[in-house]
Amino acid sequence: MSLIAAANICTQGAVSCSDQAWLNTGDNAWQLTAATFVALMSVPGLAVLFGGLVQKKWVVNTMLMTFAGFASVLIVWVLWAFKMGFGAPILHGANWKASSDPISNFFANFVGHPGTTLSAAGLENQASIPLVDPGMPTFALPSASVVYFQFVFAAITPLLFLGSVLGRIKFKVWIVFVPLWTSCVYAVNCMLLWGGGYWAQQGAADFSGGYVIHLAAGVSGFVAAAVIGPRIRADREKALPHSLPLVAIGGGIVWLGWNGFNGGDPYFASADAAAAVINTNMATAAALLTWVLWDTYASAAKKPTFLGAINGMVVGLVAITPSAGYVNGAGALLIGAIDSTIVWFAWTYLSRASFMKKVDDAMGIIYTHGIAGFCGGLLLGIFADPNVVVYQSVGGAQSSLKGLIYGHPKLLLIQFLAAITIILWDGTVTFIILKVIKALMPSHSLKMSDADCEIGDLAAHDEEGYPDPEGAHRVDPGYGERDPVPAGGVS
Amino acid sequence: MILVTAVIKPHALDAVREALSFVGIAGMTITEVKGFGRQRGHTEVYRGAEYKVEYVPKVKVEVITAAEMADDVVEAISKAARTGKIGDGKIWVTSVDSVTRIRTGETGPGAI
Repeated sequence: MSLIAAANICTQGAVSCSDQAWLNTGDNAWQLTAATFVALMSVPGLAVLFGGLVQKKWVVNTMLMTFAGFASVLIVWVLWAFKMGFGAPILHGANWKASSDPISNFFANFVGHPGTTLSAAGLENQASIPLVDPGMPTFALPSASVVYFQFVFAAITPLLFLGSVLGRIKFKVWIVFVPLWTSCVYAVNCMLLWGGGYWAQQGAADFSGGYVIHLAAGVSGFVAAAVIGPRIRADREKALPHSLPLVAIGGGIVWLGWNGFNGGDPYFASADAAAAVINTNMATAAALLTWVLWDTYASAAKKPTFLGAINGMVVGLVAITPSAGYVNGAGALLIGAIDSTIVWFAWTYLSRASFMKKVDDAMGIIYTHGIAGFCGGLLLGIFADPNVVVYQSVGGAQSSLKGLIYGHPKLLLIQFLAAITIILWDGTVTFIILKVIKALMPSHSLKMSDADCEIGDLAAHDEEGYPDPEGAHRVDPGYGERDPVPAGGVS
Repeated sequence: MILVTAVIKPHALDAVREALSFVGIAGMTITEVKGFGRQRGHTEVYRGAEYKVEYVPKVKVEVITAAEMADDVVEAISKAARTGKIGDGKIWVTSVDSVTRIRTGETGPGAI
């Protein structure tokens, strides 16, 4: 394209000022920025948030599993998993038509054909999600922006349920489990709700992952914690966080990172993206303060707590995730306050039930992500405001969502059924994957030995979080040997 | 009056505290310490560089009590802290000339 032609596109106010007619530079700049914000939530966000919440002896193990898990998801994501979540459904022939049988419809629309995104076209061609394209404006982004944006979500999901299995899972098990989970569980969640698969076709919605990510992480983490087994008794009884300032750093990165998490999901730097960002922050503010109020007036100690505020913050972020770009500001505030209240009571009272005590979900991910995400998806079914427009024109009509209080109760039912599907699929497949890994491990154990768990990082990695130079000296070849005293003594 | 000093594995501290309160000891002082005896340190590796770390983290427990309690206290600590492996620690007993309770100025066995 000549310079003059390119300039014409700009001056004519067409979509693009780049050298590709379909690409909008503003949208693409925001998409890459939003993706980077979300990536920062994992590394270093979750690495230091969880790192601060574990005992000092587990901080290295926690951070390593976060960084290595992040890396392992990207490899399978570009080799096959992105296409499984967002490509063409595996059982669709050229002339596929929806049948009247919901079961066969489900399996025809639950996972995409695996394939790589490595080619030049896979990086630079105009983005496309075959089953979603008809329901949204044409992508103004290259494929790489969508693949990377969706990767950072795929990566953070297993890292969230790392919180359930910390303090005993073997590193080797983790690094095999995560890519398998991404391929067999997460990709299916994506197709069902975001890739245009079965539940999307039924009208279920999940703006940024209340179900795909948070319900999935809560359920999978809980099942994984049950299959792997508990931490050693001393660690369960003294599960004291070792650094609240680290939690503050991680928690802050997670909160503000969520601006990309929810603000990036329209795939356009649009008015709805801006609405999603401020809605996210409103729900989070309401949820944080709600949790602190319950702590102050209803907890045993009757005092506001910092870690309670962080729990409330996380619950607010999770609660608004399914609905951030579908609800108005009042809805966002109510969703934050209601979800935080539900999870506070579950955290305080449901946790006393014997079956909840039996499973050692180390960070309580089933509450702050599982229950919070489940309720957030239902609250979308209640508060979705048809006047909050996601896309101004799809086939000539505005696209938005109508919930219970605007006279459309069916959305609530569809949301509920989608949630049940995620719970059953994710729980079952997580169970099967871990049982298979267990059978294949030479030791038939997914946990470190009790003796190694007593020591922690030093047993697993020969590193500790805060090494003490006192008494340490280097011993690898070439170091640590004193120069021999020359014959005849020192002159 | 005597001072019983024990250097034990950090993990054994809860068991030792319980055992001591069972024999009637109402107070103690705890310090995190490092050292080595027959149990030598461990190896740590940072960026491929290997370090021998000589000192092992331990907990020092100090208890002041009446002289006739010496055997009971030593036995309680020793039973509670024993795993049978190298590194269980040491206990020693020294005599104490005087004890003063700061709040009241009381001295002698009544101040313990």
